[in-house]
Amino acid sequence: MSLAALTRPWAATSYGFLDASAKREIRRKMIKAIAVPGCQMPYASREVPMARGWGTGGLQVTLTLVNPRSVVKVIDQGADDGVNAASIRRFVSRVSGAAETWDTLAATIVQSRHRVPEEVMHEDQVLVLQVPNPEPLRGVEPNISIARQMHADADYGKLWLTLYEQIVRKGRIMQGAAYPSLVNGRHVMTPSPIPRWDVPKLHMARHLTFLSAGREKRLFAVPPHTRVEPLVFSDRPYLVEDHAELVCRRSGISGYFMNELPQDDGTSAFEVSDSNLGIKAIRHAEGEAVEIGATWYRNGEMSQ
Amino acid sequence: MAYVATRGGERAIEQAERLFRQDLGQIDLDRVQSIRRSLPYLVDRVMGEASLYDEDIAALALAQTGGELSEAVLVLRAWRTTQPRIAIAEPLLQEQLLTQRRISAAFKDIPGGQILGPTLDYSHRVLATDVLEGRPYDPPAVEAAETPAPARQPSLADWQRVQGLVAPAVDNSVPLDEIPDLTREPLLFPASRAHRLQGLARAETGGVLALGYAAMRGYGNAHPTVNELRLAEAEIVVRHPSGTAFSAGRIRVSQAEVTSKEKGGYLELGFAATFGWNEVKVIAAATLDLNSAEAPVGSAVHEEFYLYHTESVEASGFCIHFKLPHYVTFQSILDAMRDAKAKKAAMSASNVTTAPQEEPAL
Repeated sequence: MSLAALTRPWAATSYGFLDASAKREIRRKMIKAIAVPGCQMPYASREVPMARGWGTGGLQVTLTLVNPRSVVKVIDQGADDGVNAASIRRFVSRVSGAAETWDTLAATIVQSRHRVPEEVMHEDQVLVLQVPNPEPLRGVEPNISIARQMHADADYGKLWLTLYEQIVRKGRIMQGAAYPSLVNGRHVMTPSPIPRWDVPKLHMARHLTFLSAGREKRLFAVPPHTRVEPLVFSDRPYLVEDHAELVCRRSGISGYFMNELPQDDGTSAFEVSDSNLGIKAIRHAEGEAVEIGATWYRNGEMSQ
Repeated sequence: MAYVATRGGERAIEQAERLFRQDLGQIDLDRVQSIRRSLPYLVDRVMGEASLYDEDIAALALAQTGGELSEAVLVLRAWRTTQPRIAIAEPLLQEQLLTQRRISAAFKDIPGGQILGPTLDYSHRVLATDVLEGRPYDPPAVEAAETPAPARQPSLADWQRVQGLVAPAVDNSVPLDEIPDLTREPLLFPASRAHRLQGLARAETGGVLALGYAAMRGYGNAHPTVNELRLAEAEIVVRHPSGTAFSAGRIRVSQAEVTSKEKGGYLELGFAATFGWNEVKVIAAATLDLNSAEAPVGSAVHEEFYLYHTESVEASGFCIHFKLPHYVTFQSILDAMRDAKAKKAAMSASNVTTAPQEEPAL
């Protein structure tokens, strides 16, 4: 037997771009992240052929999970055909041979920037969220060494205080997206800058969620059937965006998170943010046989 | 399917990239080699920030990105990611470096002598406009000294140790294959010295200069005196699995050692080294290293601050990500803002007396 017979043919890059040692490290950290929900695990975070801050953290998790039987969906702000989403999806499929899809129901891996799809995800699906700033304490404690100590002590007093101050000053909690949330009753995480509308979708969800920040070199997870509770006071309920009544001007559907489109006459029009859901609704209305999955909200109320 | 209002416009995107590349024109081996020959200090800077020493590949990255430095570094680092780490070189020892420039500002003369080497330090920075008028600039030939300077120079700090000026060296050596590698491990704080020096070695030159300069200007607690600054070539010695040590070639390196006031009976030393010849970077970085122990936590010259914020690929990537759409998060902010305004309006309309007119003093 020759030496050549024992080795694999030379290839310019490894399967899935990342080399085996990078994948092994990320897998170990992913398993730790599942074991301690919401706790940020540092990882080396390799350079990939995309700028930091453009989803390199999510990309590394996706590249680690992907296999030739995977079906990958990538969304950016709800859309599959955004520049960056399309570019990431094409890259993953090129280096892994995985199939591409726009359909949430067909995907095995959904990598997302800033949205959780509106169709309910299932046990056999993984959601990978790109996270720009994984540290929920950054606003109250910019020093990461001190912030880590605060997490260890479950010392979230300063975070509660900022929420309280917002109520005092503005009459409500002003936090937009990235609402700080307590995971499994222990670690406060930032759920990535998903809108408040999307945070309840992570609570006791059937799917596994990884949140990964490439630039900040931290990843964390929300395992299936895990509590995710936004920080709220007992007399101030959690408020999602007031979008329940808004109607998509193209597909006519309502009860979803909408993009606002300012009009020339000073008014606003709305389009559903989950763009492929909108496409499906239009096709359905035109009589095509389209399967539309169950949704998280019914009439603007969480259905769980 | 023109469904999303602000959709990608894939064709437009593709043409935009073509426009960028068309402006640069054809990239061939000639161009790459001419960049390598004519811009050696730029090539050095990019190799240092990319932690990848290969002049041809660095010149190619510069050609391909039109000299957009942060893009060139990103291209190089992404390529580096795909390469295996096949060996770890033996440590470079100061006295083994093939030194071409070595100066000290701490002493008028030092054992081994001051060797000025190539530098613009004492030149008049006059633009050679004649070149634009068709008269090429031919540099005058160097007149060799009667006796060449020795290729290898002793370490000044070693001499200072013998004199009792510098604390005895602490042996922190670890087995070669256990040397921490920042490109394969996360940076944690407090950072190990290995990680700190690796971080500084690949930090963005301008960023290190800005923060090092801040430390020099009084935002730090340590005034640097250049103890020893070197530009050198180093033999990269690696060990074959059979045990034979051999040279894998030479690389250009720069290193700076700066010193400050006395502490505990000894001079403190700050150190930095990087791939390529880049004096400003190593002096600024060594100043940050020197200042580290006394830097107030949270200050801009504290290790956590400077290591995070001089990381060129992370910093430039994050900066340009703000060009990506943010309408979902922005919508969420608008929603909260409108609701808060409506609440306030409703409150002042219904009961003026009980509504707080001023924010309470907390």
